[in-house]
Amino acid sequence: MSNADVGSSPGRPGALRQSQKEATRQRVLDAARELFDTYGYQGTTIREIARRAEVSVGSVFTTFASKGEILSEVMQARLDPLYAEIDRVMPHLRGPTADRLRTMFAIHFEFEAQQVRLFLSHIAAAYDWTLTEGARPYGRNARLQQAISETLTKGQADGDVRLDIVLQEVIDLLMSAYAWTYRLVITSDADSKAMIAVMDRQIGLIAEGFAPRG
Amino acid sequence: MSAKNKRIVKHISPIQVAADAPARAPTRRALAKQQTRVKVLAAARRLFSEQGYEGATIRDIAAAAGMSTGAVFANFTDKSDLFREIMTDDMEALLGAMRDAAVRGRNVEDGILKAYMAGYTFYKSRLQLARAAFSVSWDKDGGPSLRGLPSSLAFQDIFTELLASAVERGELSQEAEVKMRAQMLFDTYLSNFPQAIFEGWSLDALQTRARDQIRILLAGARRG
Repeated sequence: MSNADVGSSPGRPGALRQSQKEATRQRVLDAARELFDTYGYQGTTIREIARRAEVSVGSVFTTFASKGEILSEVMQARLDPLYAEIDRVMPHLRGPTADRLRTMFAIHFEFEAQQVRLFLSHIAAAYDWTLTEGARPYGRNARLQQAISETLTKGQADGDVRLDIVLQEVIDLLMSAYAWTYRLVITSDADSKAMIAVMDRQIGLIAEGFAPRG
Repeated sequence: MSAKNKRIVKHISPIQVAADAPARAPTRRALAKQQTRVKVLAAARRLFSEQGYEGATIRDIAAAAGMSTGAVFANFTDKSDLFREIMTDDMEALLGAMRDAAVRGRNVEDGILKAYMAGYTFYKSRLQLARAAFSVSWDKDGGPSLRGLPSSLAFQDIFTELLASAVERGELSQEAEVKMRAQMLFDTYLSNFPQAIFEGWSLDALQTRARDQIRILLAGARRG
């Protein structure tokens, strides 16, 4: 804790403790991000995170209820810039719904490929035994769902998405195609380009299923 | 439970052991070793189901089987080896059930749906083990060996065969992109497990959802 930090919150009782707590939290998140990306979800322990962050195991637990919750926070913090980018790009996209979905997922793959093992951890965490309420593993994150939903709804307005589909089912199909495409990293060390190529074809196939009949 | 017991019995049957080594009767030592394996596998199955893959330790498994950790390591190289053995056992049993179900379908869509349901029904009684398997399969270290098991790969072949024969019958178009569609059907089958595991979906609810998913995935391959 530097003097400058302490000086920035003078006088208020508890302010020092508050900023110390925040600093601890940030250190834990930074350490966890690196560990998850290197050792995966199973290979990372709270003890290891505490050691790297140079804090006690106890103080990790005063801030986070579980390993899954730490990972959720890490992912959440990373996703802000990603979805800022998605929000910026999506309104400008033209063309068929399938192509707009392809662009949106391509942005995701390129982003996640930078720390791909972190994203694999995010998916693995969805099957964690000890998952707590605060954890938001892949699939329970609403932002991707919302982005897909908006794209499909616009497609319905434009007339290239059937009106009688169950929107949530198509969203789930796309979400699972997206997640399962990452298995190519596990089975064949695929890079973002390879994953995007596979996803593009899968979107085409799903689009045949939501295209208006006739 | 009865199916499980049957498999265990099969493992320790002297006839089985004799069949593996037809030249001579099994030695007492070989039999004892086989019995140890069976005991360890049963204990491991229980602990993986109760505590997940991460939560179950070799030490606990050994204790539950009533033997030393050394005795466990004499039979299995490590925890992942144990887990793979259990999964292989289950997957082989399920593969048979899925193939049987698939051929009873009235058409390609129904065959795929029946295959899905055979899988969900099989795992309904062992969801915790399924959960452990998914968790391992997304691990960069444990994932490849679990996903690469021959029985694991054989699941996708069921969907490939269903689609290919539908193309032959003229039910699906020649340009059905069988390989990718089979992959997606398999992925979709797997992707419904979280609903079953975490949200307690009934088999009926899973079936309704699966039927819609299959229809969407087949739509582009329909003729005319």
